This record gives sequence, structure tokens and C-alpha cells, in this order.
Amino acid sequence: MTKKLFSLLAILIVAAMVLGACAPAATPTAAPVEPTAVPTEAPPEPTEVPTEVPPEPTEPPATEPPATEPPAVFKACQVTDTGGIDDKSFNATAWKGVEEAMAEFGIEGKYLESQQQTDYEKNLKAFVDEGCNIIITVGFLLGDATAAASTTYPDMMFSIVDYAYDPVLPNVLGQVFTTDEAAFLAGYAAAGMTKTGKVATFGGIQIPTVTVFMDGFALGVQYYNQQKGTAVEVLGWDPATQTGSFTGNFESKEDGRTLGLSFIDEGADIIMPVAGPVGEGTAAAVKERGNAWVIGVDADWYETVPDYKDIVLTSVLKNMNITTKGAIQAAMEGTFAGGVIVGTLENGGVGLAPFHDADSLVPAELKAELETIAAEIIAGNIPTSP
Amino acid sequence: MTTTTTTPTVKREIKVASPTRQRVMGIIFLVIGFGIWFLFSRDVEAGTYTKFGMTTGGQVASIPDLTVPTLATLNILAVVCGVLGVVQLVRKDGFGKYTNLVLGGVVAAFVISFLTWAAAGKSINFAGLLNTTLLKAVPLTLGALSGILCERAGVVNIAIEGMMLMGAMVASLFASVSGSLWIGLAAGVAAGALLGLIHGVLSIKYKTDQIISGTAINIFSIGMTSYISSKFLQVYQLQLNNPGTFQPYAIPVLSKIPFFGGILFDQNMFVYAMFLLLALLQFGLFKTRWGLRMRSVGEYPRAADTLGINVFRTRYISVLLGSMVAGFAGAYFSIGSVGGFDEVMTAGRGFISLAAMIFGNWIPVGAFGGSLLFGFADSLASKLAILGVQIPSELLLMTPYIVTMIVLAGVVGRARTPAADGVPYEKESL
Repeated sequence: MTKKLFSLLAILIVAAMVLGACAPAATPTAAPVEPTAVPTEAPPEPTEVPTEVPPEPTEPPATEPPATEPPAVFKACQVTDTGGIDDKSFNATAWKGVEEAMAEFGIEGKYLESQQQTDYEKNLKAFVDEGCNIIITVGFLLGDATAAASTTYPDMMFSIVDYAYDPVLPNVLGQVFTTDEAAFLAGYAAAGMTKTGKVATFGGIQIPTVTVFMDGFALGVQYYNQQKGTAVEVLGWDPATQTGSFTGNFESKEDGRTLGLSFIDEGADIIMPVAGPVGEGTAAAVKERGNAWVIGVDADWYETVPDYKDIVLTSVLKNMNITTKGAIQAAMEGTFAGGVIVGTLENGGVGLAPFHDADSLVPAELKAELETIAAEIIAGNIPTSP
Repeated sequence: MTTTTTTPTVKREIKVASPTRQRVMGIIFLVIGFGIWFLFSRDVEAGTYTKFGMTTGGQVASIPDLTVPTLATLNILAVVCGVLGVVQLVRKDGFGKYTNLVLGGVVAAFVISFLTWAAAGKSINFAGLLNTTLLKAVPLTLGALSGILCERAGVVNIAIEGMMLMGAMVASLFASVSGSLWIGLAAGVAAGALLGLIHGVLSIKYKTDQIISGTAINIFSIGMTSYISSKFLQVYQLQLNNPGTFQPYAIPVLSKIPFFGGILFDQNMFVYAMFLLLALLQFGLFKTRWGLRMRSVGEYPRAADTLGINVFRTRYISVLLGSMVAGFAGAYFSIGSVGGFDEVMTAGRGFISLAAMIFGNWIPVGAFGGSLLFGFADSLASKLAILGVQIPSELLLMTPYIVTMIVLAGVVGRARTPAADGVPYEKESL
């Protein structure tokens, strides 16, 4: 009896562990707004560079494969975060950049998915051995692994999304984004479109990469009020005191729904959720109540969440594909250098998605103003962060 | 039969409160009255108004919104609490058996004062607050009912979280593929039952430690659902994870009741089902033969066995029913609230519902009260953030858990676990 029981339990637990391991780790997957570069977090890595390089240079793999069989085609290889290539967020968007480069420059593109954080190093090494020309790593969480690989393989070119090293590593190009610029436009558009005079935003967890959206949004609304003498209110975020509404997680769509209902109850008719899949719960609430809009973040929700396309006013875009393609192009043309490439409104790294179905409802005047403001932000005449 | 008749009398005896308790209550009323004045009244300028919204967004107003002068309201509430305190202290025996009722009223007065103060010069949607409270309480109550069904029969079920998660995933998958929400719902309930069967076999037949079996099911469910979700549901989003949701259905006549009609009777099927299950279980557990047998198996299985009740069968049935309710609660997340499954979307609600069950002393109605309390604290915290009260978000998010902890700590002395809860039954031991 006990034997049977133990074997049954053992099978159950082993199955649970295996399946648990296969599945991507919960938080990073769900994390919607992937941490943009926080320069101050990097220092420990670069300082190790001088000490770690000397013992290694004898290691051949980095230089040998290209020497023995020079690759006929340029290879761009992407290592994803645990979210996987189809995460509808930064992994997918960065891969879109690789695909665009493949189509445009005729290069070869490959990717490896990291199922868990311990895969990062393994996947990076696999691509080095395979003779990739540039390796794109995606996400803040790959920061350490990428830094380590860049010192081990000093001849390899790397580019990492959402991370910037300080001081810069000579063979790593960080990609960071001024999301607040695009969120500012979204705030301005929301202020121009609201009928109730109240708009709202909330976040998943109060971290800088989330609040940068909320800051931009709130300042955009404030700017509209200044220009037009209106008094549109922003619920859920106060950029001056940095306090506001958060669900406390990036998982519970149910929380997104109830919070969305609360905002609508308080009179908000445009809501920008900065909380990944939680935001889909808010979209469900908006659809349930009607007469309101959501503003998507990261990708164009009109395309990625087609269920709710009739209530998506616009989206704040973070175009990792453009910066990724830029990095690949630089590597091909030999102009690649370590440092940081910043996705801005100016270079299209961030932007406001089209209004799609809502287009006919947006006054032409507002659209024109948005264009002027975008130009002003690019010129540096309007501050978009507090 | 004797057990049912004696229990109420014992309870009545407890309610005859000691003079000390009555005095303490009086002092509490006074302190709350003073607190309202000290914390809130002094902070408010005369001439400000607080507006309470009485209709949830998107509904036709049944009664007009209530606008009250902030300072006057606070002062009146403070004075009322104070007077109640004085009466409680001065009058012999205080409010007697109504003391708890008065305590409830005083606490409510404090909460209302808090809201009045927090929304001074602004508006707060009171109906919306109650509405989200109810919505948040739905999965918690269902989870707690699941726990009660299992534990009243003597089987601890901490796998509610895992069963919910599995129910949510399976419901979304089947509803998307079949195109029918009802089929999805049935599949979700069946998924819960399947996990319940595993739990039952392990803990009833093989007498394993029920905590370990439950934990294994939780880990298994998280792994399994996350795996299927990332490999299939997210990849073929439109075909496999696009179920839609049950739409709200306004019950004729009842939904027209001013104020409460819109909150209670214009909801989707899950809310009505929760009330129905709640009533059924409350009645079944304490007024039917089935309930008596089930409770006897959970209290003293040997005696039940001697009287010819099949302990094993009763426990299997209870665990299966409980697991089905947990699967049903899970379906709420994916097809009752938002359309679609997402990894670990239940976010620990299964464990909170266990707390609600304990808070409610393994009584359905009590568990509902516990769920409402948690839901209210949760809704209130998010309302405060929306109102722009300057409290760090991390602290606000803690509120519902702290409230649950305080209440559990305060009540746990009275909570009485079914005597044979978690103890495997061995027929003819030795």
C-alpha cells in the first residue's frame, strides 16, 4: 500500500517539477513593460572586465569558427527572455526587427528561447559556437549574462534590449527607450478625447520602467490643460508625489478588471493600464461598461489584442524592432560600436500608434496638435518627465 | 439529532456577555467617536463637501448622488459614536444582546467617516465601491465553499488554488474550442473534479498527509497550466484562448430596486450561482440528513461508522463536490471575469479563500462575510489610490492582507476546526 502510494506521489511530484520547469517563469513572462535601462545598476560588471579578460584570450571558439569557415551570409541571432518568442511584447518585437533585417539585407536570422534564467549563458554560448555575427539579447534580466559573455568573447558583437551599461562595454550596444515622450502624446490625446474630463492610468508594480509611462501620460494631460485652459483630471497617478494606483502584480487580469470598473465608476472614460496582461482585464471592463477607451502600451493593442480592437483608442509603442534592426545594420556595415542606442520619438524608437477605427472620431485639429507637440518634444522644448 | 439541538443553546449562553466586556465595548465606542473627531474632523475645513456616487458607472441612476457637508457629517458621526459609548457605559448591561450590532454600526460609522474625510472636496462612488467588493468576494466565497465542503467531511483541501487554476485554464480552452461558454464551464468543473479525485484517492484511500497531497496538486497545476498556456494557448490565441465571458443579466423587477438592485441583481451568472450555492450549502449542511452525516464524518468518523454511515464514501463525495466548486470558481477567472486564461491568473485567491473559510468558522454564511471583508478592504485600498490619498502603493496593497490577519487573529480563538479535519480514517485500526 505505502509503496503504491509513494510511487504515485513520486510520479505526481516529478511531473509537476518537469512541467513546472518547462513553463516559463511566471513573473518575467508576465512583466509587460520590460525594465528599460537603469544605468546605475550596471557598474559591478564592467569593473571586472580588466581582470577577467587576461586568463581567457587563449580560448579559441570565439575566433576560430569564423576563421576556418567564413560564413557566407551574415548571421543575426536572438536569445529571448523567458517570455519566449511569441510573448506579444519585447521578445516578439525584437524578433520582428531581425525578420525585417532578414528581408531587407538578405541575412540569416536565428533565435533560441530561454525557458529559465539559467538558460541565458548556455544559449549565448551556443550562438557564439555557431558563428553568429551579432547576438541580440532581449530584456533587463539578461543584463548580467550578456555582460559576462561580452568579456569572455571580446570579438563578438552584442546588442541588448532594455539595458545600458555604465561604463559602456566595447562590444555591447544597449537599446533603451524614452517611453515618456510617447506616453506624453497619449496623455495629450486622451485629454483631448475625454468626454467626462477624467482620464486614468495605473501600473502593475511601482518600478521606474512602469512609472515612466505614467509620468509621461500625466504630464501630457497637464500640458493639454495649460494650453486649453481645461481641467482634465488624471486619476491613478500623481507625478509630483509619485503615488498612485497599482495592482501589485503582472498576472491577475481580474484585478485589472475590478480596478478598471472602479475607474469608470469614478468617471474616467480613458484608461491606460501599464501592467501587461492585467491590462486586458481592464479592456474587458471597458468593453463591459461601454462609452470608454483603453490606451495600450508596448505594442499596438489594436493588432495584438484583436478582441478589444473596437475600444483601443491608441497605443504607446516601444519599437524594439527599429533599434534592433539598426544594431544589425551597424554590425553589417562595420560601424558597430559599444554604447547605447536610444529609441526616441525622433528616430521612431517610441511612438504613438495610429487611431485605427477611432480615427474618424479624433478631430483633425487634435491630430495636427499632436504632430506639432511631437516636433516640439523632439526639439527638446517640452519636458516629458517630472 | 441531539448535536443539532444543543449547539444553539451553547451559543446563546456564550452571548450573555460579562460586565467587563460590556464596559470594554463602551470604551471602544468612545475611542472610535473621539478618533473620528481627532483624526478626521480637525483636518477638514468648513465649507467642503463630499459627494457619494450612488450609481455604478454605465447604469441609469436610480437614486440621486448624495452630497454632504464634510465637517458636519464627521462631527455628527463622532457625536453619535460618543453617545452610544456613554449609553453603553452608563446603562446597566449596556445594549445587552444588541451590543455586537451596535459595534458593527460604530465600525461602519468609522469607515464612512474615513471615506468622507478621504474624499473631502471630491467625490467617491459608493455604489461602485460596493459593486467591486461583491465582485472580488465572488471567487473567494466559491473557494471558501469548496474548502467547507471538504473540511466539514474531514479532508483538508489546500489544493483549492491549484484546482481554480486548472479550472480556469480548462474552461477557457474548452469554451474557445467548442464556442459555448457552458461547455467550457462544465469542462472547468470536471477538471476540478479530476484533481479532487486525485486528492481524494491520495488522502482517503492511501491516507497520505493531506497537506502534502494538496501542495503537490498546487505545484502540478501551476506547472501544467503554465506549460500548456505558453506552448498552446498563447501561440494559438484566437483558436484556443478566446472564450468570451458570461454577460451580465439584469433580473427583471429586482434589478430595479433603488441602489441595491443595480449592485446585486445586474451581474453575470457566477454572482447568482454563488448566492445559490451559498444558500444551498448553508441549508444542506445544517438542516438536512446529508449535512448531518457529512459533519459527523468530519467530527467523529468512528461514531458515524458505527451508526452505519459509509465514512469513505461520504468523504469521497464531499471532496469531489468541493473540488467541483473550486473548478467552478476557477472558471470565474477566465470566462466569468475576463475572457481568456493567463499564467497564474488566480494570483493566490485560493489561499485567501481558505482564510475566509476559517474566518467564517467553517460556516458558509460566515465565509461569505469573510470574503466580503477582504473584498471591501481590497476595493477600499484601490479607491484610496484613485482618490489620490498620499499613501505609498506598497502600503495600500498590504491593507486587505493586514485586515485579514487582524480579523483572523482576533477571531481565531473562537474558530473551531472540525475535530477529524485532516485525520485519515482507518476502519478497524489495530
